[in-house]
Amino acid sequence: MTDQQGGVRGWAAGRKGALSRLRFTSLRLRLVVVFGLVALTAAVSASGIAYWLNREAVLTRTQEAVLRDFRQEMHNRAGSLPAHPTQDELQRTAGQMASSSQRFSVLLVAEDATGRTVYGNSGGLNGFELEDVPKTLRAAVIRQQDVTDGNKSPYHLYWQRIVDHGTPYLVAGTKVIGGGPTGYMMKSLEPEAKDLNSLAWSLGIATGLALIGSALLAQAAATTVLKPVHRLGVAASRLGEGKLDTRLRVSGTDELADLSRTFNNAAEALEKRVAEMAARDEASRRFVADMSHELRTPLTAITAVTEVLEEELDSEAGGIDPMIEPAVRLVVSETRRLNNLVENLMEVTRFDAGTARLVLDDVDIADQITACIDARAWLDAVDLDAERGIHARLDPRRLDVILANLIGNALKHGGSPVRVSVRETEDELVIQVQDHGPGIPEDVLPHVFDRFYKASASRPRSDGSGLGLSIAMENAHIHGGEITAANSPEGGAVFTLRLPRDTSPLTEDPEDRAEKDKGSGDGAQGETP
Amino acid sequence: MSPVPSLLLIEDDDAIRTALELSLTRQGHRVATAATGEDGLKLLREQRPDLIVLDVMLPGIDGFEVCRRIRRTDQLPIILLTARSDDIDVVVGLESGADDYVVKPVQGRVLDARIRAVLRRGEREASDSATFGSLVIDRSAMTVTKNGEDLQLTPTELRLLLELSRRPGQALSRQQLLRLVWEHDYLGDSRLVDACVQRLRAKVEDVPSSPTLIRTVRGVGYRLDAPQ
Repeated sequence: MTDQQGGVRGWAAGRKGALSRLRFTSLRLRLVVVFGLVALTAAVSASGIAYWLNREAVLTRTQEAVLRDFRQEMHNRAGSLPAHPTQDELQRTAGQMASSSQRFSVLLVAEDATGRTVYGNSGGLNGFELEDVPKTLRAAVIRQQDVTDGNKSPYHLYWQRIVDHGTPYLVAGTKVIGGGPTGYMMKSLEPEAKDLNSLAWSLGIATGLALIGSALLAQAAATTVLKPVHRLGVAASRLGEGKLDTRLRVSGTDELADLSRTFNNAAEALEKRVAEMAARDEASRRFVADMSHELRTPLTAITAVTEVLEEELDSEAGGIDPMIEPAVRLVVSETRRLNNLVENLMEVTRFDAGTARLVLDDVDIADQITACIDARAWLDAVDLDAERGIHARLDPRRLDVILANLIGNALKHGGSPVRVSVRETEDELVIQVQDHGPGIPEDVLPHVFDRFYKASASRPRSDGSGLGLSIAMENAHIHGGEITAANSPEGGAVFTLRLPRDTSPLTEDPEDRAEKDKGSGDGAQGETP
Repeated sequence: MSPVPSLLLIEDDDAIRTALELSLTRQGHRVATAATGEDGLKLLREQRPDLIVLDVMLPGIDGFEVCRRIRRTDQLPIILLTARSDDIDVVVGLESGADDYVVKPVQGRVLDARIRAVLRRGEREASDSATFGSLVIDRSAMTVTKNGEDLQLTPTELRLLLELSRRPGQALSRQQLLRLVWEHDYLGDSRLVDACVQRLRAKVEDVPSSPTLIRTVRGVGYRLDAPQ
């Protein structure tokens, strides 16, 4: 089937674009076939009936005229012959009979005075002989029938149509009642056959024309049906691609117009729903963004004051009542957590709003990782396998966020030692963070980068904000990179960070920016002498 | 500079102003506060602080505008306090002439460290002078003259120029400069360097758009050259 389709497609493509949609199963082809069959049936039956009726009418008319003539001639001429005519008389009479208006050949058979059978031949038709007359006809002609009420004569006129060398003939014969000669006639029906042939040709051509016409009609009908169907298909696929403003032009009042209208209504409803959902989504995102902004102001005040409290706690003098010391410690630590959470929320909303930007710099990856783990006092817990001298162009702050989240996560769930290894390929930087913990359950693995995903509801509240890995992922994405999580065969979870070595194409080059914006500093400060 | 640094804190939110004042006072600073940009500018004329901590979002004239107005006449160090760490705000802040910025919610210790780092930039060091074309840097007097004319540089700009001039012809990366000049940790914002270089070029270069002194070294950072 596919081969056939392909073949037809290839053939069609070679011919015409419009035919390229022609398939054996296509509506277009089915319509053409059905139209063709209907036209063929109608045309063939109409032509057949017309031909048949015509043929009978023509042949009967010709035949009756000929037979009437023949009968007349037999009566007039053969009937006036003596009972035993001579060969010459018979021959002459045959000639006279044949010269009638119908131009048939005549053969007269009689017995002469000596009892010898004599033949009289009109001479036409290459010598009409008794052998040309079918035996059955001869037998019927010379058979004497009983004269009854229903049958007044002992002999009758019989006729038969024969075909000799492709030419149709009418052969008839009769015997003169009362012992006269037996007469046969033969008339060529070629002119009539020719007429009928040309009639058949005309009817055939008419049938062909009807077929072609029906095929064209079918094409036209298919086009009127299929064009809207095709447009509908195109519109549906555009809608599927997310172009929700796709609409069809509705023309007419037929079922296809109804379908188009239904499609338009559906698309409109869909667009509205999507717009509503987008608006709701946007509103909730803005709410989170606004909320985290609003939280910052009081948090800034609280943070500043908490530090004062913290210093009091740490001071040797012991400035805080031991009774309320745990309360102060709780406030201090929870404020720090709240700070982290708000910080992470801000980060997430920046990614969601698309306002996150890269600030690129050339960094030595090993130095960067060392600084990251050093700043968090993780040097003892992290086993770093990285050579100095691997440089990449990226946003160091974002790399730090990724590393801190990955390593922090590994330390929290896997425990030390955490192994961090750096490899570089031609255009990629691959950093692996591997822990030696129990690994990540298979059902959790796909969700580790989800926001606020907790492996189980019963799990104790962790120190993290629940946003760390998701932020790490977003930071990798903004670099055009990727983080994957997997379980190592020798146990423990492995997070693999892949970053392009040069992220410059993703952002404006800071050096270009410095060159470009040089002038803008002037306006702000002027050249104060 | 007085032994106890005096600061001017311009912040509209009462809670933050009070808390930061408390925190900074405990860190050993003398803190004057203003709730609006207009009040801040007035206070600035009356008593001259060593440094200004300026909130970006202020009623009336905003922090960026306050920063620009101060820079028109004064080279006082300014640290921006921004709740909006959206990158565009930081860029605008740096272009309006701020020396450094901190993002809210800011930890008092971080702010204190930044303040001290900025203040250190103005400290004199006993050293010689260096000449780069028409530019003369007098390290002992902490002055820079161009064609014999005194240049008004902020302490940050001056420190950047000094660090570059200490290693003439040697390229310094942005991270190096951030450590040397801003005393930031390993995660300094390299745009601080870019913004400061732009401002410095506007003052020391003959044609700031085609610098001959402070050259960009692609993929590395910046370098101070004597003009050929």
